[in-house]
Amino acid sequence: MNLVVYILKKDVMYDFLLDIKNKFETYVPIKKDITRFKILDNPKDIDFSENSYFPVKEHFFRKKEVIFQFNGSNFLPVELKSKNKIFFGLRRCDLNAIKNQDFIFMKQHNDPYYTSQRKKAVLIGYHCTKALNKYCFCESMNLTDYYDLMLFDKTNYFLVDAKTEKGENLIRKYKKYFKKSNYKISDKDTYIKTRKINKKDISKFYDHKDWDKGINLCLSCSACTEMCPTCYCHEIHDNTEINNPRNAKRIRSWSSCQLKEFTSVAENHTFRDTKEARFKHRIYHQLQYFKERNKINLCTGCGRCITGCPTKIDWVKIINEMR
Amino acid sequence: MKSELIPKKTRILSNFRETSDIFTLILQISGSYMPGQFVQIGIPGIGECPISVASYSKNHLKISIREVGKVTRALGKLRKNSFVYIRGPYGRGYPLVEFQGKCLILIGAGCGVATLKSIIEYIEYHREKYKDILLFFGYRNINDIIYKKEVNKWKNTFNIKIALSKENAKTCLDWDSGHITDVIAELKLRTENTGVFICGPPKMINDTVEILKKKGFNDEQIYVSTERLMYCSIGMCCHCMIRGKFTCTDGPVFRFDEIGYYKND
Ligand SMILES: Cc1cc2nc3c(=O)[nH]c(=O)nc-3n(C[C@H](O)[C@H](O)[C@H](O)COP(=O)(O)OP(=O)(O)OC[C@H]3O[C@@H](n4cnc5c(N)ncnc54)[C@H](O)[C@@H]3O)c2cc1C
Ligand code: SF4
Ligand code: SF4
Repeated sequence: MNLVVYILKKDVMYDFLLDIKNKFETYVPIKKDITRFKILDNPKDIDFSENSYFPVKEHFFRKKEVIFQFNGSNFLPVELKSKNKIFFGLRRCDLNAIKNQDFIFMKQHNDPYYTSQRKKAVLIGYHCTKALNKYCFCESMNLTDYYDLMLFDKTNYFLVDAKTEKGENLIRKYKKYFKKSNYKISDKDTYIKTRKINKKDISKFYDHKDWDKGINLCLSCSACTEMCPTCYCHEIHDNTEINNPRNAKRIRSWSSCQLKEFTSVAENHTFRDTKEARFKHRIYHQLQYFKERNKINLCTGCGRCITGCPTKIDWVKIINEMR
Repeated sequence: MKSELIPKKTRILSNFRETSDIFTLILQISGSYMPGQFVQIGIPGIGECPISVASYSKNHLKISIREVGKVTRALGKLRKNSFVYIRGPYGRGYPLVEFQGKCLILIGAGCGVATLKSIIEYIEYHREKYKDILLFFGYRNINDIIYKKEVNKWKNTFNIKIALSKENAKTCLDWDSGHITDVIAELKLRTENTGVFICGPPKMINDTVEILKKKGFNDEQIYVSTERLMYCSIGMCCHCMIRGKFTCTDGPVFRFDEIGYYKND
């Protein structure tokens, strides 16, 4: 934790947001039919009562990314346009999801497309004090502090912790809104009590019959992977313009391990042909495979794959009930 | 902008038709392409696909491709001096250094023979480092045979068995009819100090391993090369994952027990 913590009064927060909005494309949680991160218009629209239905993943790992353009003999430069963005009100689970994607696209790989979007974004968190809904299970996922700034809600004011230079710089630039405090953020502030996964290692349960409870309800619709803040599977296809076939693009786009075509090859062969294999693959990638390689949980416990599932498959409960 | 996903322009030195649907490209490219590794080869606007290294040379790269779809068919139409776009080499190849001083049994079928060819060329180059080499090739029929010229040459230096699964009568005295697996099953093979490298369609690999096990070979001796749908080949797109292992970076060559039992994953 940083030594200096700042105080941001709640009414001042609105002025602060109106001010940064002039310089940054500022995204905040707004509740209409569902809660989404939307570009800030009126700060009073901000709603912290639930987490956003969709994560902010698509701002960095974008749904479609042009890898290169080609004119028949040469590669044309791809302009990696990006804007200065601020995300205000990200939860601890989603910040850790960004941490995991940063790890994949910027540490493990040097992905220029992701990096160009991510580098210009400032992440401002809003720390949960309790489980936001009954499906949250972040307490089991060993989350860490990963943010530029984090807001801790103290009823009339926020304590603001700066973790990075980006965060410090923002406070310095807008210092009139912040007051120094000698409060020290402790585990008490960062503790969120949620339900838990009662198994540290699910590797021995791969063949357990209880998976059927989920598999039988699964529609292979891929909503879960679409909403997941950490899923990063993608495919790559080429496109040409009909009126100018020499103008080619190679495009990366999201794909989902829950769909059959994810592992389909020639002669109609599909490796993960069964719903069972696909369903387990998702859970095991999230809880086991990624951790085996990288020593960190891929899943961050946000619960979106359950809230967003049309049949509400609560796989955490299924795992917890396995004997 | 630099991206691992942008391929390099590469000249085709020749395109040789092996069979009605398989062709071999020789590419003007230098570097270290090891047996069992693969490249991503493509044509911008059409796409790219993973293809195994089929040669062992510092000065050029040979690959053999079966026409099955969009990209492979488009590649088949390219002629000498046209360009293709290449990334790689990718993946972990066969453990040839580990098996120095030992005997090797190489088994290939269909397009898997391409990978075998690179192993054979490697061994020819380092012949004194290996003991007995036994080769098994499986083809469907006489018109399906790739590397006819090379096979005739290899006969002079190696013990070689060829089987044609869809050919009824013996077309040639030293070729068997039936599956290559049947040929292997009938033979007595020495298991000690021997490595077995298999390359071919999944069913052939599984059948072969079963036979080898009955003959007393264990998992540690058997290496297989796997194929999965893949796009990035750098361990990022996740399509090729088998129980957490990436075919593209951890494989495509695996010791059989690393992934071999997971046929549907
Ligand atoms: C590591 C590796 C090495 C390979 N080496 C060779 C080789 O040396 N020679 C060779 O001819 N082929 C090889 N293949 C298979 C080859 O990549 C596919 O045949 C090729 O991708 C098909 O592309 P396409 O655009 O022509 O077909 P598409 O039009 O994309 O599709 C035609 C069919 O091929 C399937 N397909 C797509 N990708 C693959 C894939 N990776 N593996 C199998 N089927 C696929 C599609 O699902 C579809 O059913 C290899 C594959 C891998 C993963
Ligand atoms: S998972 Fe944890 S951090 Fe995420 S919304 Fe729920 S309680 Fe908050
Ligand atoms: S959202 Fe639910 S029903 Fe749809 S694929 Fe995921 S687990 Fe299956």
